[in-house]
Amino acid sequence: MPIKMPINVNSSINIRLKVISVSLVMAVALAACATTTGVEHATNKDDPYENVNRAMYHFNDKLDDYLAAPVSKVYNKVTPQFARTGVFNFFSNLKNINVIVNDALQAKFMQGARDSGRFLLNSTLGLGGFVDVATDTGLDLNVEDFDQTLAVWGVPAGSYLVLPIIGPSTMRGIPGAAFDVAANPSTYLGVPIQLVSLLNTRATAEGSLKFIDEASLDPYVFTRESFLQWRNNLATDGKSESSMDFGDDLDELNSGTKQSGAKIEPAPQDISKTKHKLELLAPLQ
Amino acid sequence: MMSMLTTSAVFAQDDVGLTAKQVVEKFQSELIAVMKDGKKLGYAGRYEKLSEPISNSHDLTKIARIVVGKEWEKLSEDQQQKLTDIFIRLSISSYAHNFKDYSGESFGFDSEEETTRGGVVVHTHLVIPNDKPVKFDYMLKEKGNSWRIINIIANGVSDLALKRSEYTTILQREGFEVLMTKINEKIDSYSKL
Repeated sequence: MPIKMPINVNSSINIRLKVISVSLVMAVALAACATTTGVEHATNKDDPYENVNRAMYHFNDKLDDYLAAPVSKVYNKVTPQFARTGVFNFFSNLKNINVIVNDALQAKFMQGARDSGRFLLNSTLGLGGFVDVATDTGLDLNVEDFDQTLAVWGVPAGSYLVLPIIGPSTMRGIPGAAFDVAANPSTYLGVPIQLVSLLNTRATAEGSLKFIDEASLDPYVFTRESFLQWRNNLATDGKSESSMDFGDDLDELNSGTKQSGAKIEPAPQDISKTKHKLELLAPLQ
Repeated sequence: MMSMLTTSAVFAQDDVGLTAKQVVEKFQSELIAVMKDGKKLGYAGRYEKLSEPISNSHDLTKIARIVVGKEWEKLSEDQQQKLTDIFIRLSISSYAHNFKDYSGESFGFDSEEETTRGGVVVHTHLVIPNDKPVKFDYMLKEKGNSWRIINIIANGVSDLALKRSEYTTILQREGFEVLMTKINEKIDSYSKL
């Protein structure tokens, strides 16, 4: 219900997705480790490694408290808002290459053409991507990545994983992220540039992280649930959203039977034609 | 349009006889009205003004049952009542906290669809000046003669599913009393922030 929920939560969840770099090796190591522990206390079918994931979540949280948050605070103080927006736009524009590649891999050719137009416009009139002129012309930022492509190809998401530094992911998200890193030009710009991207991303997400603290009773579950729903929403281009009926649960409560679990009920027909894309890393106030 | 306005006026006191779409639109207009006076009203004023519109348009009792899933059956009657009461307070307080002021926002209607289980989903969006619009999809079910909101899906993230995961996890891991304490703390922090 909170007014800022979708944008803020999703952007904060995404911050660590954006900073994927050397941690991938560690990530894979953790995934391997996670397969042998934590199963016995599982309470959620999507999260069989909850105990390991919770520990990693708290590690990331502390890392953020003691390192990322203080540095980001200084960065926010010394840079004006327009500079942060410009830096955000620059990296967002580079990421468009990966969006276009994934548009093609998902056979979204019209969207691919629009995204190409967006990239060309912002790279030229938008002064190398620092100004987002394309959005004003109606060429909105689309969010496509290799994890979504894998979903479109029918690869299941697999278990939920919290990776060191990177944060929320799934089994499918690991190869997805590896592809996205390789297809993002900013990966090849060198460590200092990567650090600027990382710092700016964290600074932009300040409001969203605050929101998770404010809105959640259990920040770990809140983050997991928003992340999984958001990824599912992206992978299905928003088409799964209205099917959360919870009808089974109501029937169950009314009749007192022991069946449980909300089943996803297909809508009779897809009346809503409006596809929408969640915005990533929307500049927050 | 005129007939809709007339209908709204006739049933100004409660939401009996309104269509699902009308219930949502009435609630959204009441919310915007409170946002416009938000600063002047303060948290307590917003809570008071929103209390009735939220209770009339949402089925908070049913939502409270859904968010604890099958754990509901394990609670005593007294606990079920306590949970329902505190959940209603939390819901109103969350609105009062999050919709505190107005900077030109407005809701727009997109479409509506029926689900196979007799529910209706009303697709709307919130226009925020200088920002991307946020999609708000309301899932409504019929309760007696009126339609009531039982879930809100904001940009694809279901509030009910989110809460359900949190509440069932806390109940299973830490128990009923901890859940009550956490909700009370949340209401407390909403009233102060």
